Amino acid sequence: MGGVYHVILAFALILASLGPSLADPPEGYPFVDFNTGLTQARHENKPIFLYFGRYGCAWCDHVNRKTFADPGLKQLYSTNYVLVYVDAEGGKRLRLASGERLTEGELGARLGAFATPLFVFMSPEGKVLAKIPGFKTVADFREYDRYVSGRHYETRSLMEFLGSQK
Amino acid sequence: MKLGGLALLLAVSPLAQGQWTFDEPRDVASGKAFFHLDASGRQAVAVAGERVAIVWEDDRNGVPTCHVASQKPADTGFSQLSFGRGECFAPGITALDPDRFGLIWEDESGVQAAILAQGRLNGQVTLAPAGGQGALAWHPVHGLVAAWSEPENRWRRVWLTRLVETQGRLEPADKQPADAAPLKDDQMFPSLAANAHGFALAWEDRRLGHTVIHVSRSRDGRSWSAPARVSQNPTGKALGTDLGRGTGAMRPALTGLAEQGFALAWLDKRDFLSGYDVYAAIDPGSGFGQNLKVQDSFGDAIAQWHPAIAGNGTGKLVVAWDDDRDGSSDIWLSWPEGKVFSEDHGPSSAAGPETQTDPALTMDASGSLHLVWIDRQENGHTRLRYIRASPSQ
Repeated sequence: MGGVYHVILAFALILASLGPSLADPPEGYPFVDFNTGLTQARHENKPIFLYFGRYGCAWCDHVNRKTFADPGLKQLYSTNYVLVYVDAEGGKRLRLASGERLTEGELGARLGAFATPLFVFMSPEGKVLAKIPGFKTVADFREYDRYVSGRHYETRSLMEFLGSQK
Repeated sequence: MKLGGLALLLAVSPLAQGQWTFDEPRDVASGKAFFHLDASGRQAVAVAGERVAIVWEDDRNGVPTCHVASQKPADTGFSQLSFGRGECFAPGITALDPDRFGLIWEDESGVQAAILAQGRLNGQVTLAPAGGQGALAWHPVHGLVAAWSEPENRWRRVWLTRLVETQGRLEPADKQPADAAPLKDDQMFPSLAANAHGFALAWEDRRLGHTVIHVSRSRDGRSWSAPARVSQNPTGKALGTDLGRGTGAMRPALTGLAEQGFALAWLDKRDFLSGYDVYAAIDPGSGFGQNLKVQDSFGDAIAQWHPAIAGNGTGKLVVAWDDDRDGSSDIWLSWPEGKVFSEDHGPSSAAGPETQTDPALTMDASGSLHLVWIDRQENGHTRLRYIRASPSQ
């Protein structure tokens, strides 16, 4: 069964790489498209880190260069999460965990996205655990990882968690 | 600008408030399913003669399926027809002559178009083996024109064709790319419109490294002008940084306006801190003018979605969208008043604690407005709703 999954996943990754470009995810990270990522997350029982970025977005470029260039952060997020990139203005059709089919751009309306980049942590089943808009530092992302990896979302919001860390 | 300008306009314009009288809304379809009104250009409702027709997609049968419903004013309900092969998405519609409509959609066979007449689809034609985001416009002399976005290597290109009715079939004629230049990046979400003097096409274009709105015009549907950019980028870059390629503009929606004009609405991210805003530009016949913010200042701090636009031959124009300024998503309308757009108004039946989204609208020759939207309730039950509005005297 696992072998079949890996063949399907590899095929999906190849198809994703041949499809429309993924706009502007940070370089060197194993970002995949939404459908591939949801399948992968369920199979590996890993949470999803969704990067909702806009093509040409200044602050996406800024966070890619200033934050995601950090090798330790790359190792941490590549290990702990299935990394999914969604183009905020894209027309590619997704399938949400609910089964609904909609476009990448429409996902922004559902997430209430008002700024890019928007970072969304999701459970392997696709449930939103936390949403974080805008530029963030390496230290910020390490805090978010502690929140998600420690399953603190089960008892408190991200804001409550961050407040308790100070 | 909006409040100061509005005060002046209220003093001089009798149309500043209460421009529309709304009928009771009707349910077109409903169910515990996912409903989508997502035609490219938000072209999901049309009026041909006395008949209004609405297209949408839902998965009530377990598979995304396209539907069309139509009725005349005297009819007690809508007659419905399902169409598409396999999964069907993003159906669009335009009015032809009385009681006839052009339909375009995406299904497992590619991009399809057909004529709807007397409750049946006729003359179906495949425009492309893959792709979608189809749009149509019809001119009484030059006929039907279709546009869609089609994969080409790693990108997508917008294509155009006339559709000629020959012995009951639609035949493509003069098929051509919206821009003959080599593709440099994605072209997506075309929108088409016609006026008495010809056609206009708008689409999303990423050749500059960010998404901008381009337009092209044609007198006859055969020969099209070179692309011209409409969405402006006032700052050129994000404030206070030396990063990024530019702000975003997406989901253009076009309409014919008066005899020789067009109007265009779209989502615009030039204010990058508060989500997309609704912007519009008007072409009186000599080219699109400056970009105008549509929503009023009460909607400035939040994101707007799903802009739709409708005009008619007399020069009346309305823009619709949804936003959740009042705590839940509601439908909002605005229209030009002098050189600015009006304060925002919405029908009470398209507002409230449930989720009212995805407006599409058209305006008939008499100036009546026909609006459809999706009403999603907390328990998952969803209604596709229709309302007609008459101009207030």
